[in-house]
Amino acid sequence: MSATSEPAKTAEATEEQHDEHHEHHEQSFWRTYIFSTDHKVIGMQYGFCGLAFLFFGFCLIATMRWSMAYDGQAVPFVGPLLEALLGNNVARGGVMSPELYNVFGAMHGTIMVFMGIVPAAFAAFGNYVVPLQIGAVDMAFPRMNMASFWAFFLGCVIMMVSFFIPGGAAQAGWTSYSPLASVIPTDGQTYWLIGMVMLITSSLLGAVNFIATIINLRAPGMTWLRLPFFVWAQFITAFLLLLAFPPLEAAGILQLMDRVLETSFFLPTGLVVGGQDVDVSGGGSPLLWQHLFWFLAHPEVYVLVLPGMGIVAEVIANNTRKPIWGYKYLVGSVVVLGFLAFIVWAHHMYMTGMGTVISAFFQTTTLLISIPSVIILTCLLVSLWGGSIRFNTPMLFALAFLPMFGIGGLTGLPLGFNFSDVALHDSYYVIAHFHYVVAPGTIFAIFAGVYYWFPKMTGRRMSEFWGRVHFWGSLIFMNLIFMPMFAQGMAGMSRRMSDGGATYSLSNPDNADVTVGTLSDTIMGLNVSISAAAWAMLVVQLPFIVNLFWSVKHGEKVESDNPWQATTLEWETPTPPPHGNFTKEIKVYRDPYEYSVPGAKEDFTPQAQPAK
Amino acid sequence: MEIPYTVKPRPDTGLYNAKLGIWLFLASEVMLFGALFSSYVLLRVGAEPGTWSMGLMDLLVGAGNTMVLIASSMFVVLAWAELKQGNLAGYKKWKWATIACAVLFLFVKWGYEWPSKFKHYDVWLNNATVLQEKFDEGYHEVASHGDHGDAAHGADVEKYVKKIYTTRFFKEESKDSQLAFDDAWRNGTLALSGHINAYEEAQIDVRITGWKADAGVSEDAADEALVKQLAKQDTEDAAGLRLNGGYLREKTDYDTAKRAEYALGQAGFTVALSVAGYKRVEAHPWMWRTKRATEDIGGKPRVSSIVFELDYSHHKGIITLDAGDIKRLSAYEPKHSTFFGIYYTITGLHAAHVFGGILIMLYNMLPIGLGLWHRDREQFTNRIESFGLFWHFVDLVWIFLFPILYIL
Repeated sequence: MSATSEPAKTAEATEEQHDEHHEHHEQSFWRTYIFSTDHKVIGMQYGFCGLAFLFFGFCLIATMRWSMAYDGQAVPFVGPLLEALLGNNVARGGVMSPELYNVFGAMHGTIMVFMGIVPAAFAAFGNYVVPLQIGAVDMAFPRMNMASFWAFFLGCVIMMVSFFIPGGAAQAGWTSYSPLASVIPTDGQTYWLIGMVMLITSSLLGAVNFIATIINLRAPGMTWLRLPFFVWAQFITAFLLLLAFPPLEAAGILQLMDRVLETSFFLPTGLVVGGQDVDVSGGGSPLLWQHLFWFLAHPEVYVLVLPGMGIVAEVIANNTRKPIWGYKYLVGSVVVLGFLAFIVWAHHMYMTGMGTVISAFFQTTTLLISIPSVIILTCLLVSLWGGSIRFNTPMLFALAFLPMFGIGGLTGLPLGFNFSDVALHDSYYVIAHFHYVVAPGTIFAIFAGVYYWFPKMTGRRMSEFWGRVHFWGSLIFMNLIFMPMFAQGMAGMSRRMSDGGATYSLSNPDNADVTVGTLSDTIMGLNVSISAAAWAMLVVQLPFIVNLFWSVKHGEKVESDNPWQATTLEWETPTPPPHGNFTKEIKVYRDPYEYSVPGAKEDFTPQAQPAK
Repeated sequence: MEIPYTVKPRPDTGLYNAKLGIWLFLASEVMLFGALFSSYVLLRVGAEPGTWSMGLMDLLVGAGNTMVLIASSMFVVLAWAELKQGNLAGYKKWKWATIACAVLFLFVKWGYEWPSKFKHYDVWLNNATVLQEKFDEGYHEVASHGDHGDAAHGADVEKYVKKIYTTRFFKEESKDSQLAFDDAWRNGTLALSGHINAYEEAQIDVRITGWKADAGVSEDAADEALVKQLAKQDTEDAAGLRLNGGYLREKTDYDTAKRAEYALGQAGFTVALSVAGYKRVEAHPWMWRTKRATEDIGGKPRVSSIVFELDYSHHKGIITLDAGDIKRLSAYEPKHSTFFGIYYTITGLHAAHVFGGILIMLYNMLPIGLGLWHRDREQFTNRIESFGLFWHFVDLVWIFLFPILYIL
């Protein structure tokens, strides 16, 4: 039912106003906007926090890029701030120390993955859109949903506080490999572990809620193969979180024991730190940490990517005005992908000496998992064929997702083969590869989702012009940042070096003439251009931020409840949807993407429209 | 707004929301404990021979606790069955029984099993000679009066201890156990096990050696800091000490001395600690660190010797260990070995689940929890059913824990 019938709409509007009025009497400001149990409010809380942390995490790396391009020089603008906030032993005179670089590096990864993308792509869109798309009044467990958000929030607070404790936040990278992470004497790692336990608890509560909601609260007629692809993607993502996160929780508990109670789960016999024997029993296994960590962290990659794919599928179906090509293959692929995601983890560990047989097994599964990924990407690509494409901002981001994610995926193949990984392991090539997957991949999908669902959330559109400025700027600078990193990595530049590899290049034992580095000037010079592109990238995000807040009050008002003329159920609600979502009985009669059905009056037939 | 299927099951899935939710939660719990069990396997398989100290568990207590939990699992079902028949009094009866079992289980763990381990020590000595000397010394008494059942006689002492060693690390005698024991015996890597009955701790003199006027602390503030540390609250003495130096305290205990050293250091003083003598302390300390026994104070050890009672010596194998001979000392606490590490981690996490279960059960017995019964009987019954699923899971975890930690 599109919003063409004027009287019905007015009736809805009146009812909605009445509802709102009614609720103001019932619920205080705190219950409505802060400690809310409404899935839409929680979704927006997650979205706001997620985007804020994405920005903050980006600022960390933008600061680090200065150290890589101009090591030993004071950081302009933020240098004095660092010195004032974090103390002059880590940022004397505004110069970033290697320790601070390590802190920022570890926290950049942690914040982007666990506090940025997961909340924004999975929790925010999942919370806001999934119940609407399946025709549910709310999540299955609204109070647990609120608990999930506040556990997340508490975890974030612990992570942020750890920046300001003596010695600063965690320094052992987002992967927190032991024994390094266990023996660093500052308390940052302990805070990190406690923060992670809170974030994992939040994910657990969220995942249970999502799965229960999708299984049990689908509207009448919403069969499994009538679910929009976005819901399928979220469903599988929730299973990944449910089953992959607990082993990291176990690993976190063990590392916490190592740090606080001096056990030796990850500390081998005869460990020497700083020239001294450590007073521990030994007998532990550093490899155990890596297994437990990557058992989460590889499925985590799909947690980051699948919601993005779901968003892109929605936007592409809507803006090509034709059904997604191969919907059933998409669903099948995402299910297979969810399963395979659990048995590929050790391809991160080829260099640990775990043995050729195990390497061969994980190499095989890793290449297998590329099949469903390619099927998904191909389906989305073929969907464009013959469509009458509308090039609006969400669609531009969704379109850019396809080649960018494609680059990310294909450059992963040399890392999946263990013989080529030996050369590329821990180099800038790896950084470029996974950033292509998550930055112009998932983050572009998040942008597409924000521009696409913003009218449903607020009743106004975001500015199309500034949206395009944001899109083209982001696309260009994203590639200027990450494309050169492939070259750096293949030239042998290692990751995690605060001077951008200068010392490493000169201290190479094969290189007798210390005045000439093993990395060429061109490769080292790319550090400067990449950094410049990163700062430009920061600037082109400003139009988005301003656009986002400005449009809430001043954007162009939408003309109906279904401004994109879409088919899925979230557009059947009033705008913005009230508590309880639907103002009429919802029943589903057809598949999710019935666009341009021959013989239909309009080029879209909503799922809730009864058959004649 | 009403969320569907909170009470009645959805026809096509056959589940009400909470039941679906609890099963999903349990799936994630399986992964959590599964990861810990996998860690157990990996650590155990990778352990050096003679380091996996598992033959120390009290099988009888563990088996008893297993029975207690199994009984509680039965009671939790009976409580639910009573609710199904609308009998609140019957529910309460069986629920109290469940709670009683859970509390008994935790009491045995927290009140007996763990604390008794925290006082039991292994000591590794610096070299094989010291080990063999102390070993002979300790079991000498036992050997000459060896009439305690299977206790040792004369030359059989070594054989006897080998048996203890074998049960502890290898379950049964084999070529491997023989080799490992010979190796540990020759190289002195064998640990002596037992209780600390007493120790000789340093009595420390605290002496002021100077005061820096330029440390940013005023004279009055420095004197004030000094007065706090003096035995007698005497301001005149303080000024004298600041100017001329001298003894602040004599023969004081370690903690007081360290506190004084820190506080006075903050106030600009330089402080010297020296050991004046040793005092015998009759005590059974909990979870002592190696550092405590071997710490150096002004060139002398903080603890000069430990009076140690060897296991299985029936209060006769008492030896005195010089702190200087001790390489490592640890109670049966998490840091003792990877076995005890994983033992406390898994049983601790399990105990936390039992404790959480007790809180939920109590909630469902109080008026605030029972309110739901009076509003909607079916929903309350469902809630108890969901809790029962959780409780069975907690029980099941223990069923796996018991054999891998006590028997295998």
